[in-house]
Amino acid sequence: MKKETLLFESELIKFESRTISLSDNEQVQISVNENDTNRIFISDFSCGSILNISLKENSKLQLSFLAKHNFDKSEINVNLEKDACFAAYFADFSEDKEKLKVTINLNGEGSNAVWHLASLSANRDNKEFNVNINHFASQTSALSDNYGVCKDQSKVVFSGCSAIQKGSHKSHTRQNSKIMVFDENCDAIARPLLKIDEKDIEASHGAVVGRIPEDHLFYLTSRGLDESEAKRLITYGYLKPITRGFFDESVREEIVKLIERRM
Amino acid sequence: MAKLIIKDLHAEVDGKEILKGIDLTIDQKETVAFLGPNGHGKSTLLNIIIGHPRYHVTKGSIYLDNLNVLEMSVDQRSKAGLFLGMQNPVEIPGVINSDFLRASVNAHSKKPISTYNFYKVLDTSTKELKMPFDLATRSLNEGFSGGEKKRNEILQLLMLEPKIALLDEIDSGLDVDAMQTVADVIRKEQEKGMGFLIISHYARLFELIKPTRAIVMINGKIVIDGDPSYIKRIDQTGYEFIKTELGIEIDKEEIDMNKVSLGECGIKEIIR
Repeated sequence: MKKETLLFESELIKFESRTISLSDNEQVQISVNENDTNRIFISDFSCGSILNISLKENSKLQLSFLAKHNFDKSEINVNLEKDACFAAYFADFSEDKEKLKVTINLNGEGSNAVWHLASLSANRDNKEFNVNINHFASQTSALSDNYGVCKDQSKVVFSGCSAIQKGSHKSHTRQNSKIMVFDENCDAIARPLLKIDEKDIEASHGAVVGRIPEDHLFYLTSRGLDESEAKRLITYGYLKPITRGFFDESVREEIVKLIERRM
Repeated sequence: MAKLIIKDLHAEVDGKEILKGIDLTIDQKETVAFLGPNGHGKSTLLNIIIGHPRYHVTKGSIYLDNLNVLEMSVDQRSKAGLFLGMQNPVEIPGVINSDFLRASVNAHSKKPISTYNFYKVLDTSTKELKMPFDLATRSLNEGFSGGEKKRNEILQLLMLEPKIALLDEIDSGLDVDAMQTVADVIRKEQEKGMGFLIISHYARLFELIKPTRAIVMINGKIVIDGDPSYIKRIDQTGYEFIKTELGIEIDKEEIDMNKVSLGECGIKEIIR
């Protein structure tokens, strides 16, 4: 079973980085050539945007998104050839109604992908993230890691299917979905799904939706933090790990400020 | 000098009365060894003093000097100078230990501590506790060994400098060297004037920190409040003398059974 690390940030430091932004209904094609390594920062993602990504054999791509404005009805489609490696970090601080569909196809043997999402919903935001990962070849691996914070009267849905198709033996896939609920009128749904059509594979999922545990709040307040400060610290700790996927220090600082402001 | 005064305290958890009339006064300069069999209310008392929401006080009072502790929120009790070193500190993923410590230190002071001063204090305190500095940069208690969690509790005590510290089995999970280190820290704080109420089942820690007094809780009441010689006596002979000399029958610790057990399912009358 192939289980080498899915992350390759340290390799990326020596490579040039590109920043792009997408306008409404714009379609963008990104291709990474054989044996190339790239990292791209999507500074804004807009309504109806479609991002098509193609990774050739043994190529690597780290993609980081900072979503501050509406990106409703947007799509990200990724196709990976043999031994290609893809890592995505999506930090969502948008407001209003959003629906994003992500499809990652692991077409080549030995290809692997990780998807990280951190999303903050407040007021009457209504968000759905549908992340689908298809294993079409053997020895492929994938991780879908989704973290959400749901406040006020907002709604958030994490859905999607990780499918291991016939012929994808010795592959492994994992889905994690965690949503922290702050208020009684929030609506949070985590809907993981695995479809397995091959033997000799590993597939698992975990989904947690719930309030901040009472014993966590008690511990922090017993050290002098008032309840709102304790909640802020827990939320901050919940969303901040996404910043490791952003190579520009100023963007990391902006994300921290966005967390502070929206909390 | 601060004084913690508990009068006629009754408390329950999940509708069951645990504390049945506690009278206890602790002066800031005292170190009180808190003894008693498991399940008799020692941890409950400490949790009630600090304000754990699971416990419900039905009668009595707790004052820290002229402050009515039972009317204060949990964070206010901490700011007033009370600290609970917990038996099982929770793991909080994502919350970085140093971020939490700094927020706690700031909550206790009028002016936020500078980054330089914070790391200076943190460095001194971790060295004193012989803790690897990287524990401060990891998620709060996550993946810490039992001993590391307990040292992290003492690290917080050092940084927050409470008037009276309540320590709940702080020695469990510590190896011999770590216990010596923790005892050294407690002794230094004793000299500075910090008061302690310490639960432990082992005489070893008490030998190192020399309590000024010992109390014993049985069946939700303090039945002995005396000199530290009781520590050695209980360590050598157990609690049997309480029954023979004081005439108090010691309740056995209740262990909850599963709601469905073979005992119930196997009885024919129930099946019918």
